[in-house]
Amino acid sequence: MNALVKVLLLASLLAAGNVFGQAARQDKVLKGDAQCTRCHDETEEYPVLAIGKTKHGTIADGRTPTCTSCHGESNLHVNRPPDAKERPKPDVTFSKASKTPMEQRTAACLSCHQGGNRIQWQMSAHASRDVSCTSCHQVHTGHDKVRDKVTQTETCFNCHKEQRVQVNRPSHHPIIEGKMSCSSCHNVHGGNPKQLVRDSVTETCFTCHMEKRGPFVHSHPPVQEDCAICHQPHGTTIANLLKARPPFLCQECHSHTSHPSQAAGLPTGRTTSNTLLGAVGRGCLSCHTNIHGSNSTQNSATSGRFRR
Amino acid sequence: MSKMQRTLRLTAISAALASAGGLALAQDAEVAELVTPESFVSIGAGYWTKDRPQWGIYDGMNKDGGYGLLDARIANRDNPTGTWFTLDARNIALETREFRVDWLRQGDIGAFLEYSRIPRDNPYTFLTGVQGIGTATLRVPTPSATTLGEVHLGTVRDRTGVGFFKSLGGGLGFRVHLQNEDKTGTRHWGRGGAAEFAVEPIDSNTRQLEAILSYASKAFQIQGGYYGSWYTNDIKLVDTALTTGASQFFLSQPLSNQAHQFFVNGGYNFTPSTRATFKVAYTQATQDETIPVGAGVATFAGAPTNLDGQIDTTLLQLGLTSRLSDSFSWLASLRNYESDEKTPQVRIVQPAGGCGTCVDNTPLTFKTLTGKLEGTYRMTRGLSLLGGLEHAKQDRKVPFGNLNVAGVDNQRYVPWRAEVDETTYRMQLRRALAETVNGSIAYLHSKRDGSEFTATNELQSDQINPIHIADRDRDKVRLMLDWAPSEALNLTFSAEAAQDDYGYSAARPYGLRDGEATLFSIDAVYSITDRWQFTGWYTRDNQKATQFGQRAVNANVLAAEKEARLEDIGDTFGAGLRGTLLPRLKAGFDVLYSKNVNKYPETITPLAGGPLLPTVGGVSAVPLPEIENRLVRLKLFAGYALQKNSEVRVDYIHERWKTDDWSWMFANGTAFTYGTTTDGTQVLQSQRQTADFLGVRYIYRFF
Repeated sequence: MNALVKVLLLASLLAAGNVFGQAARQDKVLKGDAQCTRCHDETEEYPVLAIGKTKHGTIADGRTPTCTSCHGESNLHVNRPPDAKERPKPDVTFSKASKTPMEQRTAACLSCHQGGNRIQWQMSAHASRDVSCTSCHQVHTGHDKVRDKVTQTETCFNCHKEQRVQVNRPSHHPIIEGKMSCSSCHNVHGGNPKQLVRDSVTETCFTCHMEKRGPFVHSHPPVQEDCAICHQPHGTTIANLLKARPPFLCQECHSHTSHPSQAAGLPTGRTTSNTLLGAVGRGCLSCHTNIHGSNSTQNSATSGRFRR
Repeated sequence: MSKMQRTLRLTAISAALASAGGLALAQDAEVAELVTPESFVSIGAGYWTKDRPQWGIYDGMNKDGGYGLLDARIANRDNPTGTWFTLDARNIALETREFRVDWLRQGDIGAFLEYSRIPRDNPYTFLTGVQGIGTATLRVPTPSATTLGEVHLGTVRDRTGVGFFKSLGGGLGFRVHLQNEDKTGTRHWGRGGAAEFAVEPIDSNTRQLEAILSYASKAFQIQGGYYGSWYTNDIKLVDTALTTGASQFFLSQPLSNQAHQFFVNGGYNFTPSTRATFKVAYTQATQDETIPVGAGVATFAGAPTNLDGQIDTTLLQLGLTSRLSDSFSWLASLRNYESDEKTPQVRIVQPAGGCGTCVDNTPLTFKTLTGKLEGTYRMTRGLSLLGGLEHAKQDRKVPFGNLNVAGVDNQRYVPWRAEVDETTYRMQLRRALAETVNGSIAYLHSKRDGSEFTATNELQSDQINPIHIADRDRDKVRLMLDWAPSEALNLTFSAEAAQDDYGYSAARPYGLRDGEATLFSIDAVYSITDRWQFTGWYTRDNQKATQFGQRAVNANVLAAEKEARLEDIGDTFGAGLRGTLLPRLKAGFDVLYSKNVNKYPETITPLAGGPLLPTVGGVSAVPLPEIENRLVRLKLFAGYALQKNSEVRVDYIHERWKTDDWSWMFANGTAFTYGTTTDGTQVLQSQRQTADFLGVRYIYRFF
C-alpha cells in the first residue's frame, strides 16, 4: 500500500510539474513570448510583464510588437551555446549598460514610431548626441514617467541641470505645480532650433500668450522677434520671468537722453519722478505699461512709447 | 484495497490535480495583475497651517486651511477588441482641477475630452483706494487715499479640449484637436500716463484647432495639416482718471487676432541609413479689429480706424542624414524662416505743428536662413567625435518712419541693423572611459556680426550696441562624467562655462560688454539595500554681466558714465530617500534647498561733477542692495498597506521661504507707496513665509 501511494504521489507531482511546465510555455503577454517568458516571467526582478499594461501589450491591435520585434531574434540568448561561459545577451538591449549601438536601439522604435512628431527625429539635437528612445522612455512599465507631466521633469533633469534649478526660482511657469511640463513647450523629438512644439519661440509662446501676438498699432520689435530676448521661460528671480530687472533690462537696448538712461537706485520715499522709479516697483513698466505693444491712436508721442 | 488506501489514493490524486490546477490559477491571477492596466481612486484631505502667497501662486492652496485631495485613474481595456477607456482625474477638489477621458479602439478610432484649470494668484497684497478694480473704468484717489482696502489680484484659465482620431487604413490616419480657453481675472498694471497703481481687467478667450492627415510606412512618412488659432478680448479699452475726473487716460488693450497655418512635414528613408526630411509651413496672422478711441481723445485725422494688420510667416526646412559607414555619420540641414509683416505703414501721430515728433507704425520683416553641417566619427568602441558648423544669416527690415530735418528716422530710439549673421562651431567628444565610466566634453564657439547700424534720432541713443544684434563672440564648454563605482552607486558630474564678449567701439561704446555663466552639478543615486534608495544632488550656478552706459543730464543730475556688474548666484541642493520600513510600510522624504543671491553694483562716474544719484522733491536714492531668496521644502511621506490593493498614505510638507527682495520697498524698508499727492496704494510682500501641510489619503487600487 505504501509503495502504491508513493508511486501515485510521485506521479501526481510529476503531472503537476508537467502541467506547470506546459503552462509556463504558453504566451503570457505578447504573441510568441513563450520562449522569452519561460525565464522572464512573473518572478523576474525587472518587471518585463508590465508591458502588458500598456498600448504595447494590446494584442488585439495587429501592430502590437512581440519581444523579438524590439530585442531581435536573439537565438544565442534563447539557445545558449554549450561552450558559452555566460548566456549571451539578446541581440538588442536597451539598458544603460547596453553595448547595442544607439542607432540600432532607436531603429527598433522608429520601425513603428517614425511618424507624427518624430518625423524629424534624426535631425534633432537628441539624436545627434546619441540619446536613444529608452534614454527617456520606459517600455516595460504601466507608468512611463516621461509621458506624465507630473513626473516628466525627473527624466529631463537627469541631463538638463540648469533648468532643474531654474524651475524652482520664485518666478516660474507652473511646472513644479504639475500644470505644465517640458513637453508643453518642447517637442523633444523635433528638429527645429530649441526643439519647440511650434516653429519658433514666439509661435510657441503665443499658444498660451496669444494676446502678445498683435500686430499692434505701436509694436515693440523684440516682442515680435523673440520673447527670449527679455524672458527666461524656465524661471528666474525677477517677476514675470524677466532675465534682468528694469532699468538694466531696458538699458540693454535703450540709451536715450532724459530718464531712460538713469542710474539705478532705490528711492528713499514716495516720489513720482521717473528718474527715481526705474528700479523699484514695476520699474520702467510703471508708465510704459503696454510694453508688448499698444493699440492707442491718441495723437500724442506718448502713445508711441507704450504708455497708452 | 482498504478504505484507508482508497482515501489515500484519492487524496493524493486530488492533491496533484488541485495543485496543478490551483497553481495554474494562482499563476494566471498573478500574471493577470502584471499585465492588466491598473486603476486607482485616492480620497483624502489636507491642511496648510499658514498662508503661502509665494509658493501657492499656481497650486490653488495659497491660503491656510483645509483642502480636499481627490484623484483617480480608471483604466479599462477590453482585450478582445483592444478598446481602452481611461479617465484621469487630478486635484478634483482643488482650484487646479483637471480631468481627461479617453476612449480608444487601439489602431482604429479614438476620442478624448479634457478640462484643466490653472489659477495664478498674485503673491502681493495691495492696500488701495483705487476704485473700479476688475472693471474697465479705474479711478485713482486724489488726494492720496488714507483709507485703504485690501485687494488680491489673480487670473484663472479654464481650458477645455476635445479630440478625435481615426485610422483610415493603409497607413493613413486623421486626427483633430480643438481647445478652448477662457482667461479671467485681474493683473497688476501701470497707469501709463503717471506712475500710479492700475489693474488690468482680463476677460479673454483663445481657441486652437489642429487637423492633421498623416501617412506612415516603413520608408515614407508625411503629415499635412491646418492649425488655426483665435484670440478674442472682451475688453477693448480701459478708462483711467483721478477721482476728480482729471488726468484721464485711455489705456489700450490687445485687440482680437487670429492666425491660420497650413503645413506639410515629411521624411523619406532612401536606405536604412540615409534619410531626408522636409517641412513647409505658411501662416497668415491678422488683426483687423476696429481700433477703439476713448471719448474726447484727439486723434490725427489720417490715423487708421483699423490697423488691417497682417503678418505672413513661411518656413522651409530641409534635412539629410546619412550613415556612410559603421564609424561615420553626417547631418545637413537648411532652414529658412521668414516673418513678413504686411500691415500698411500709416501715420498714427502727427502734431499740428509738423513732424518733429510724428509717429508711424513700424511693420517688421525678418528672414533667417540657417545652414548646418554635422559629422560624427565613432573611432573605437565607446569613443565618438562630433564636429559641426552652423551659419545663420538674418535679414531685417523695418520701414523708416517720419524724417526730421537732419534726414534721420526721428522715431527710431534703438539702433537698427539690417543684417545679422552668426557662425557657430561645435565639437564634442564622448568616451566610454571604462566599463563603468562615461564622459563627454563639448566646446562651442560662435561669432556674431552684421551690417552697419542704422542711426537713431539722437547721438546718445545711437551709441549703444543692442543686446540681441550686437557683435558677439561666445565660447562655451561643457563636461559630463557618469561613473558607477559599484552596482549600487551611480555618480554624475557636470560642469559648464560660457563666456560672451560683446563688440563695442569708441563711437558706439554702450550696452553689454561681457557675460559669463558657470554651472557645476553633482548627482548621486545609491541603492542602500534592495529596499532603500537614496538620491542627492547639488548645483551651483552663476551668471554675470557687465553693462556699460551713459546717463544723460536729467533733473538735478549731470551726465555720467555708469558700469553695472550684475550677478546672479544660485546654490541648490536636493535629496531623497525611499524605502520599505516594514513589509506593509513604505516611507521616504524629499528635501529641496535653494538659495539665490542677486547683485547690482553700479559704478557711476560723473563727467562734470554733481551727485551720483538724483534728489527730487526731497527724495533721493541709494545704490541697489543685494537680494537673497531662500527656499527650504521638506516632504515626508509614509504609506501603509491595509490590504494588497489599498493603502493609507500620509504626507507632511514643511515649507520655508525668506526673501529680502526690495522691489516693493523704499530704501528705509517701508512698503512701496504709489504717488505723492495722489493714489497712496501700498504693495506688501510677505518676506518670510513658513507653512506646514499634513495630508492623509486612502488609496484603493483595482484592475
